[in-house]
Amino acid sequence: MSAPAIEIQALSAGYRDTLVLREISSTIAAGEIVGILGPNGAGKSTLFRCLTGLLRPVAGTVRIFGHDAFSLSAPERARLVAVVPQEVETPMAFTVEEVVGMGRTAARSRWAGAPMARDRQAVERALAYTDTADLRHRPLSSLSGGEKQRALVALALAQEPRLILMDEATSHLDLNHRLEILQLVERLQSEQGLTVVMISHDLQLAAEFCHRLLLLDRGRLMADGAPAAVLTEEHIKRVYHCAVRVQSDPQSGALHLLPTPRLPNGGAVGRGVHVHVVAGGGCGEETLRRLALCGYTLSVGVLNQGDLDAEVADALGARLALEKPFSHVSSAALAAAQALSKQAAAVVLSPAPFGPGNLPNLDLLEAAQVAGQQVFICDGIEARDYTPGHTAIARVKALLAAGAIPWHTPTDLTERLREKATVSSKQ
Amino acid sequence: MNRRFAILLVLAPLLLALCLAFGASGFGFPVLAWENEILWLRLTRVLAGFVTGAALAVAGVVLQAVLRNPLAEPYVLGVSSGAGLGAAAAILGGLGALGAWPVPLAAFIGSVLSLTLVYGLANDHGRVPIYGLILSGVIMSAVASSLLMFMVTLAPIEGLHSVLWWMLGNLEVGSVQLLAVAATGMLAGCGAAWTLAPELNALTLGTDMAHHLGVRTRLAVGGALICATLITASAVALAGLIGFVGLIVPHALRAWLGPEHRRLIPAAALGGGAFLAVCDALARTVLAPVEIPVGVVTALLGGPFFLLLLRRRRGGGWLE
Repeated sequence: MSAPAIEIQALSAGYRDTLVLREISSTIAAGEIVGILGPNGAGKSTLFRCLTGLLRPVAGTVRIFGHDAFSLSAPERARLVAVVPQEVETPMAFTVEEVVGMGRTAARSRWAGAPMARDRQAVERALAYTDTADLRHRPLSSLSGGEKQRALVALALAQEPRLILMDEATSHLDLNHRLEILQLVERLQSEQGLTVVMISHDLQLAAEFCHRLLLLDRGRLMADGAPAAVLTEEHIKRVYHCAVRVQSDPQSGALHLLPTPRLPNGGAVGRGVHVHVVAGGGCGEETLRRLALCGYTLSVGVLNQGDLDAEVADALGARLALEKPFSHVSSAALAAAQALSKQAAAVVLSPAPFGPGNLPNLDLLEAAQVAGQQVFICDGIEARDYTPGHTAIARVKALLAAGAIPWHTPTDLTERLREKATVSSKQ
Repeated sequence: MNRRFAILLVLAPLLLALCLAFGASGFGFPVLAWENEILWLRLTRVLAGFVTGAALAVAGVVLQAVLRNPLAEPYVLGVSSGAGLGAAAAILGGLGALGAWPVPLAAFIGSVLSLTLVYGLANDHGRVPIYGLILSGVIMSAVASSLLMFMVTLAPIEGLHSVLWWMLGNLEVGSVQLLAVAATGMLAGCGAAWTLAPELNALTLGTDMAHHLGVRTRLAVGGALICATLITASAVALAGLIGFVGLIVPHALRAWLGPEHRRLIPAAALGGGAFLAVCDALARTVLAPVEIPVGVVTALLGGPFFLLLLRRRRGGGWLE
């Protein structure tokens, strides 16, 4: 039992004269769940073929529980390692029970007519564990994708292996069936001490279920360690050539990979154009996001610290003028905001509510209008004015009467902004 | 499933016994006596039909599993055209006059040679891809058939007749010894194929998956192909080219009993044997005293029956 489940030493492997894997070394302990990740062509399948003894390494060794993977005889290997493939196609209408029974091919005596009690027991256990007992008389081909995959896990379990290799076993399932299969695998690991190695394309699920990840890049082992250490923004950028943001879920600690947003027109529309936004109360986030997507340079204020809009603006890289939480906008903060909005090509009023505390923000818009800057005002101020004398409504109407441009949705806003931006560039 | 198998187990011997009653000399059970020539004649003929039918059906089962192809049959790997070429060469070379042995022997050698050639052509650095095997088989068949036709066009008229007759299949046994030898070859092949049943099951999931399940795939595929060749070559040597049995019987029984090979192989032997014996009985009697080539009967009888089955149990044995 002391031998590790898998021991890969300086493994190089390939086909004909192309070497796919170069000098891979790693050790997987018994009872681990390990994910093998990497883009297409990184060598995942080649590594998999070495682990299952299908491919003879060019150099180096792969040991499975202390035995050389390639020289192990097929029946001996089948007792140690089972494989759950992405898909199995049999042209014949074998029932689920018959297919799961094939898991006993290596163990079952060829000469015994009926299966021995031990074989029957292994099949029954596998069916029960994967909840496929009800499907036993159905042809495998008639099952849905999720059911079929559970049956294939049952087939692997019937081998009573110590190690299960999953070759993109959940790639073509929907999310709920993916989770179902992976939870099943997790249960197997915790209850039966199985070692599980999964090749996967789904970085996020792999990070969630695996104790450890191996990241392959063009035939080399690029990273090997805990999910948080392997799936860094830098690693992913280097291996997958795409920018993502990695966030850790505050509740579960699970990693979330978020593709960095794609900019409409590559963000060219608003590049270099500075827009100041008056927001607040969490009502401006959509406006801010939309403007950031279009590439505008943003400044925002005055906002109270801790306001959701302030967090969003900060995340989007906007410059901020802030006031203390739950405080009236002070003249100092207003001056800071003024300094920002003065440089802007346009000043935008987002659908922010107004009360006595943030009413001074309207000064910014009025000052901008006087200074000849474009002013854009979100309509519907009537519903958002909480000042005692409806001062905000009156002041906004005055702004509109003096030529401020009204807008309705963020898309509206960006279109109006673009028109004005081209006009101003023509001037 | 077990009940269905039991039905087969009872029905097959009954059909064989019934076949004894048919003959060119009319309907009726021959007297059971040692010196009754008609009894012996019919007995050897029914036996030859049974063994050949069983052999062809089992070879079909094996090849369909290994090649994972519903259209595979005993002649798919060029075995038939190789045998045909061998037999035609022997007949046209005048060896047919030398006794019961030379023609079957030439057919046997021809089929083994052609399979070796097909296997060698498909071999790619020690790996034998299934598609390569099927393709080289088809090409081998085409080339051998052309050669055969070429030889036939050059042949004198009486030689032509015997080549044609042989190509359509004929269960009239030249000598009891030949029957004994060929039957031994076929039964040994069938028995060996049966012991490979677990491997055949796993191989239908593909060679990689079979490997993961603990099958020594190269050994198993090679063994299965050798079995199928031994069976087919022996059958062809004994009875010429009888088509359809190896295609229809496995499909019909798979639809009826399921594809599990531990059960399917003995079932195919029983079913195929009974089927060919019945076909032969009909071939002898329908237009008596003129005998119809048995290959014609198998096709005329088996074809419609199979289509009926396919319509009724769509996808029962194979997927659509």
